[in-house]
This record gives sequence, C-alpha cells and structure tokens, in this order.
Amino acid sequence: MSAVWRAARAAVRRRRLQTVITALVVLSGTITTMLALGLLDAATAPFDRAFDQQNGAHAVAVFDTAKVSRQQLAATRDRPGVEAASGPFDQALITFPRTTDIPEAEGPLKIAGRAELTDPVDRIRPLQGRWATAPGEIVLNLRDAGAPPRPGALGSRLQAPGLPPLTVVGFASSMSQSADAWVTPQQAAALRPGSMQMLYRFTGHDTEQEVRAALEAATAGLPAGALTVAQSHLALRHAYASSADAYLLFMTLFSALSLLVAVLIVANVVSGAVVSGSRHIGVLKAVGFTPNQVVVVYLTMVSVPAVAGSVLGALLGSVLAGPVLRAAFQGVENGAADVGISPWVPVAAPAGILVLVLLAALVPALRAHRLPAARAISAGSASARGRALAAQRWLGGSWLPRPVSLGLGQPLARPGRTMMTLAAIVLGVTTVTLTTGLTSTMLAFAEAEQSSASRVVVRAGQPAFQQTAPTLSDERIEALLRSLPGAGTVTAQVFVEVHLAGHAQRSDINFQRGGPSTLAPQVVQGRWVEGPGEIVAPPPFLTQRGLTVGDQVTLQLNGQQARATIVGQLMNGDVRFLWSSWQTLAMLAPQTSADHYEVQLTPDADPEAYARAVKAADPGLYPFVAVPDSLTTTTVVGLASVFTTLIIVVAALGVFNTVLLNTRERRRDLGMLKSIGMTPRQVTTMTVTSMAALGLAGAFIGIPCGIAAHRLLVDNVGIVVFPEFMKDVWQPPQLALLAAAGVAIAVLGALIPARAAARLTIATVLHNE
Amino acid sequence: MRKEYGATTALNGLDLRIHAGEAVAVMGPSGCGKSTLLNMIAGLDRPTAGTIQVDGQDLDGLDETGLALFRRRHIGMIFQFFNLIDDLPALDNVALPAQLVGASARQARRRALELLDELGIAARKDAYPATLSGGERQRVAVARALMNRPALLLADEPTGALDSRSGEQVMDLLIDLNQIGQTLLIVTHDPHLATRCASRLVELADGRIARQSTLEGAG
Repeated sequence: MSAVWRAARAAVRRRRLQTVITALVVLSGTITTMLALGLLDAATAPFDRAFDQQNGAHAVAVFDTAKVSRQQLAATRDRPGVEAASGPFDQALITFPRTTDIPEAEGPLKIAGRAELTDPVDRIRPLQGRWATAPGEIVLNLRDAGAPPRPGALGSRLQAPGLPPLTVVGFASSMSQSADAWVTPQQAAALRPGSMQMLYRFTGHDTEQEVRAALEAATAGLPAGALTVAQSHLALRHAYASSADAYLLFMTLFSALSLLVAVLIVANVVSGAVVSGSRHIGVLKAVGFTPNQVVVVYLTMVSVPAVAGSVLGALLGSVLAGPVLRAAFQGVENGAADVGISPWVPVAAPAGILVLVLLAALVPALRAHRLPAARAISAGSASARGRALAAQRWLGGSWLPRPVSLGLGQPLARPGRTMMTLAAIVLGVTTVTLTTGLTSTMLAFAEAEQSSASRVVVRAGQPAFQQTAPTLSDERIEALLRSLPGAGTVTAQVFVEVHLAGHAQRSDINFQRGGPSTLAPQVVQGRWVEGPGEIVAPPPFLTQRGLTVGDQVTLQLNGQQARATIVGQLMNGDVRFLWSSWQTLAMLAPQTSADHYEVQLTPDADPEAYARAVKAADPGLYPFVAVPDSLTTTTVVGLASVFTTLIIVVAALGVFNTVLLNTRERRRDLGMLKSIGMTPRQVTTMTVTSMAALGLAGAFIGIPCGIAAHRLLVDNVGIVVFPEFMKDVWQPPQLALLAAAGVAIAVLGALIPARAAARLTIATVLHNE
Repeated sequence: MRKEYGATTALNGLDLRIHAGEAVAVMGPSGCGKSTLLNMIAGLDRPTAGTIQVDGQDLDGLDETGLALFRRRHIGMIFQFFNLIDDLPALDNVALPAQLVGASARQARRRALELLDELGIAARKDAYPATLSGGERQRVAVARALMNRPALLLADEPTGALDSRSGEQVMDLLIDLNQIGQTLLIVTHDPHLATRCASRLVELADGRIARQSTLEGAG
C-alpha cells in the first residue's frame, strides 16, 4: 500500500464525522441535481426521442384535391430543402355519431388512407391490434400511449351516415399527429376525401421561419389555394410541452435553486475539510511528502466519501425520479413518448457533483501545496488579527449578554466560510418563501374551484353505453332539475367536438344554456359569454394558438361554420376545451340536445339527497356529486415540498458543517471560556447565536428573493392565469414566520455541534498547544 | 482521591489540603498526575473516587453547569499558552469572566482596566493578543483569572512559554498576589519558579504525593 493511500485512509478514519457529512451533502446534492436535471430534461426530451424514432414530419401539409393533383403533390418530394416525404395520402373528415365508448372515435375524425405504417416520414408506432389491410378496417390514433385503450375497443364498429361501417382493428400512435385514424387507401377513396396530405421532413426545421420557408419552397409552383392547412412539428412540440409548461417554470426555478444550494454547500464542506486539515498537511510535508503527494492525499480523502455519496445519490435519485416525474407529467398527452429519466442524467449528475467536489477541494489543496510546512502547521492557530475586529469590539461593549455578543461576532472571524453558509441559508429561505407563497396561491386557487363544490352534475343516460335513456325531453329534464328541493341554478350543457379552421388540434366546446355558469367568476380577462358567436377560452388554448381575447375564430361542424369572438379568458382549463352559448350551437347544429346538466345547489342543500331525488324522478338520469379536481394543486405543492425538503436538508447540513468546523477551530477558545465559568447552556447559546444571526441575515435577503421568485412564477405559469388576490399572499405574520424559518434552518443545523461544543472535554485542549 | 483513565491510574490515593492564603507548588516528572490534579481542583474533570472541597464547596454533587458556576466564583486559571481569545483586545479578554457573571460591559471593562493597571499593562489594553509579547499575554491572562476575585488561583506552567525575563516578571506578579492573600496552586517543572513563588512544595510520583516540604517562602 502506498504512503499516499495510507495517509489518505488515515485522514478519512480520523475525520469520521466530517467524512459522513461530506458523503451526506454529496448524496443530497446528487439527488437534488438528478431530480432537477431529470425534470428539465423530461419537459422536452421524451417528445424529441419518440418523434425522432418515428422520423416525424416537420410539416403535415393538407391540400385541396379540387385544386391540385396527386402527381403534382408527388413531385414536391424532390423539391430543394425536402429531406424526405410521405404521401400524398387521401384525407377525409368524418363525424361518427356517438355509438361507442371509445374516446378516440369521438367527434370529427381526420382519417388518412395509408397502405403501411413504415413510410419514410411518420413511421406510425403500432400499439394494439394490427394495421388496416382491407376495406372496412380502421386504426385509431391513441394520443397517450401510456393509457391503454378501453377493454373491448378492438372490434368495435364505427358507422357514419351514408358510409360503410368501419371496424376498429388496431390502435397506433403518430407523434406527428398526422391523422386521428387510418384506413387503407382504397377505403379512404370510398370515404369521399376532400383533401390530401403530404408529410415532409426538411433540412432546415429548427424554427417556425425555417419550416415555413421550406414548406413554401416545397409547394412553390402549385396552384394558388391548394395548400389549405399546414401543421409544424414545433407547434406539436410546444403543445406536448404545454402541460409540462404548467410546471416548467416552476421546475426550472426549483431546479436552479436546488443546484445552487447543492453546489454552494458541497464547495463549502469540501473546501472546509481541506482548510481544517492544513496542520496535517504541514506534518505530512515535514515527514517528507512532496507537495503533489499532499494534494493527492487530500483529494483522495475527499473523494472517498464523495464517490460513495454520489453513487448512492444516483441510485436513490433514480428511484425517486420515477414517482416525481409521473406526478409532474400526470395528464399530459404523451403520444408514444415515454416519460422517464434520460440515461445521461444518472451519469451526468453524480459525475458533475464529483467534478465540483474535486474542484472545490483542489483550490485549498493547491494553496496548501504552496504553503511552507511550518506555516501550514501553524495555520490552525493563526490569529484572526484584522478581521472585523471593530465589530467584535463594539459587540463586546454592547448590552447583550456576553455569550450572545460573542456568538454574533463569530461569523466575522471566517468571512469566506460565513458568506458561503449565508448564501446557502439565503437560498434555503428563498425556497421556503417561494414554496409557502406557491402553496398559498394554489390553495386559494383550489378554494376558488371549490366555491362551486356544492354541485351535482346530471348526465342523460345513453343506450349506446348500456344506459337507460331518460323518459323526459331535454327541456323537461331542465325544468325537473330546477323544481327539485335544493336546486339553485341549473345549466344545461353539451360538449361538441368542433373543428377550428386553420388549427390542426381538435377542440371541444361546452355549449351552455340557463345559467349563470359556475365558471363565470373564474374569468380573469374579458367577460363570460353573453350572446351568440362568443367563446371563452382557457390560457393554454390561447397561448398554444397564439390567440388573445378579442380575436375571432371560425368554428366548423358538419359542414356548417360560424365566426366566434373570444370574449374572455378563464383562470385555467384544459387546452382542448372552450365554452360558448346555446345560441352559438344553434348556428352550427340547432337540433342538438343537452347531454348533461350542472346544478348549483343552495348553501343548505344536501348534494347526495338531491342526487337521490333526481334518480328517483327519472331512472334515465345519472346524477353525481361533483368533486373539484385538485391535481394541479397537489402536483405543484407536492413537487415544491420534495424540493424544499431537499434544499432545507442540504442547507442545514451546510450549517452543521460550518459550525462543526468553527467549533473544531475554536476548541481552545471554548475550553478557555468553560474554564472561566461559561456554562454548557451559555456555550450552546453562543454557538447557536452565531448561526442564528446568519439565519436572520439570510431571512432578510432570502424573503424578498422568494417573494420575487413567487411573483415571477405565478405571473408566467402557462396554463393558469391567477387573479391578483391569489398572488397577493404575503401578510406580516406570514413574513415573520418566514424569517423564523431562516433562523430555524440555521439553528437546526447548529444545534447538534453546539451541544457537542458544550460537552467538549476541555482539560486536554487547554493544557496543550 | 483516585483518578483512572481506563487501565491507567493518574492519581492514586492522593490527599492534599491547601490553606487559604497559601502558595503551593506541585512538581514531578511527566505523567505523575500534576495536570490531572489541577483539572480535578478546577472542576474540569471528575475523580474516579474521593472528594474535592474548595472554599467550603463540595464538588462531588455538582453537574456541568454547577461546576461552571463554581469556577466562575471560586477559581482563576492561568495556562502555559495563555489561552487568550485572538479576536478580542486585551481589555475585553480580561472583562469576559465578569460579563459571564452578569456584570454590564461598562462595569466589567472598568474592573478589567483597574486590573491591567495594577499589573502594569494598562497602556496595552486595546492591543490584540497577537501583538503582545509573551510576558504581556501572561499578565493579561493573570488579570483575567483575577477578574472575579477567585478564592484559588491555579497556574499550569505559567512561565513555561516565556523567556527568562518575562518569566521573572510573572513570578514577581504571583508573589505579589500571594502576599496580598491570594491562594496559589502552581503546577510546574521549574524548581526556580517553585522555590521563588511557593511556601510549600508537593512532589508527585506515580499519582501519589512522594514528598512535601516547606520552602523558605515567596520572594
């Protein structure tokens, strides 16, 4: 065994506690880094991976068959800038009446005729069943491959008026979202297609401008108006990330905070370990170790716990990442993308932390490398002359109890270490402040949703789903619901899937009559719908489509179309859903009946009793008491709690380490103070005060930072627009509690080493130098 | 009194009585138990068996806090390496024991200044330990030890880290203190210090008193 390894092993054994702390800090830092990187990566990477595997289309272009021929479109494959192309494929828009319980078959379906799923562009991934090989067969696009289709969906028959029936023979997934369903080319021709689609991959495709320019180049020379709709892969990517976007800013902020805390504390702990060993460095040099060997000894000493901590951290991080990512991406339409941690994360996070550890150790180790042995030996007892002595002196003359004033002066003795610890506390307090604010906002948000909690939703039974049909007509059901005891307001509603001209994604509009809507108070911009041709949209719908309140859209349904103005923006909502009035529905499909009714009960009403009364009045009505969805609240608060806990643990470990190092360095002073009568309680008070002061300073800096971060976050969450009262969550008692949190982080970290200092055996310390 | 550290016996049936106003020097080879004896009397360590009484106070029943309060009121200690706090000027080092008792900073500094003046280093009151000579540092340490008017002043090799001139000055100081009634217990290897400052010499060997002798007297 070499002398270097022997010395390093001895150093590890001698500093057991410090070795354990280094390992723990590296472990926590690695876990935090892994979760942070994992979340950031997962926001986009799964889409990109799945998209690349399918050789996804950079543009799905739809052409009017009346204006362009199949041959003209086929010729666009060889245009400059086109890397590869599939098509032309016939495309038909068919609305199937609701005869099945398959969500993928609801509403107007964009059906493409494709002979096989291995075309050069948009290689469709089969998920269940098989590909359509004969007329009368259809394959449905499953938007979330993680959620399997309902049992029995295979073999279901879809029947549109005037068209032959189609049997569902398979489910597949297209990351390009080129169609909602696929049939054979022969079958597509029988569906009376009005358009054809071309799927392109371009050499330049990184920006919308590049995609648009490439598409223009590809379609140059085609008859005017031939190209009706084009969908860019960037819009899809954005749409995919939009659910993740709800959390993306939040994740970025927390990840950045976590990384910073981890980096600071790891650097602080490691450099502290080397600095505190400077006397040992001197001894090693004195017995003949070369300066380089000394550096290697110290790097090895630090690497042992660091490697152990980072490997264990990577393992634990991998285990934790699964549930955290699943929670973060709950409800996201993933297509064929698998949400999981990328393979590079469990390698990069521990490797990055190890590099950081080595760098942090290298700086003081190189300083020790240059130190003459005699100076290194005396470094541990170096005088603190010149360091903030005026402040110490002022404190000595203050009215404060002496243990307190001595404690307040201690951080001034090691300004570098103090600043690193302070930075960790500041970040810890910032995180706690941010989490507290976020929790308050999310709770206010949940409360606003729960204000409509006393609701009963009544669905009209549908024989297609093996339900009893109601005996009453639409209008009479509404009248019945109004007449039952406990009824407040009744709104008749129906969801209808509508095509928005110029937009590839489908939209469901909730048409309402009666009212007022329970959602009306949640309009944060503009107003609720009041007349025909008006719609209200949630934030993600507007952001994804680049629309704002006041813009107009064209709604298309069964050959009818109507212009509608966006008159209001809701606080939140699903990207697919819009709200409008019954008068608007009358412009598109006047015969449509309501299929469900929302009943807001009077405050003293019993929802269960009301539901029973509805069922008794007409067995064809299916009432259920509405429970507010708190998924977003739970996810955000849950993720915030995970990161906050990690950051607080890491920050407290940093403080713990600082106090431990300070205590070791001040053993002689502590011994002397005890020899002149300082009681154990006074020693604890002094040591804890030194950190509590830092905690308080950290609170004063961290709280405004946390408030600013909270404001930044709640102002920029993609899917929710919070009203001002939900963002204004800071009250003086809450701020005082937050300041206490800063002190608590510091005191928690300081308490154990402080008590150890109070129990310090002083006889040996005092009699030997 | 007996004191054992595992299998090692540091003090083995030692019985010693020191009278008020007496100056006693304890000598002996390394490992004979000199420092252990000092620690026991100061309440920094506890005997394995036996009792210690200082100024009528029995140390046996005191917990850590009780021992700290006992040291505050009854004991002053000076060490070979001074043990001053580097971050505090001489005046504040001296004032510390009084401030721990609860005296205000002003009262403590006034008393500290008086002591520094009596010990001839008032001019250096604002100097930090690193800028003081060894002799000056030990004077500051003595002043700090006297701050709460202790019944017993314990000195552990008080001249061990000083040059001969500074050592002589500290010896003069200890003699002066004893002459005004301060009880002294000095642990030393230096026969010169023992004979100059003490009126009784206790020689230890293997944790026992090997010999006691009366000296000519201080000075």
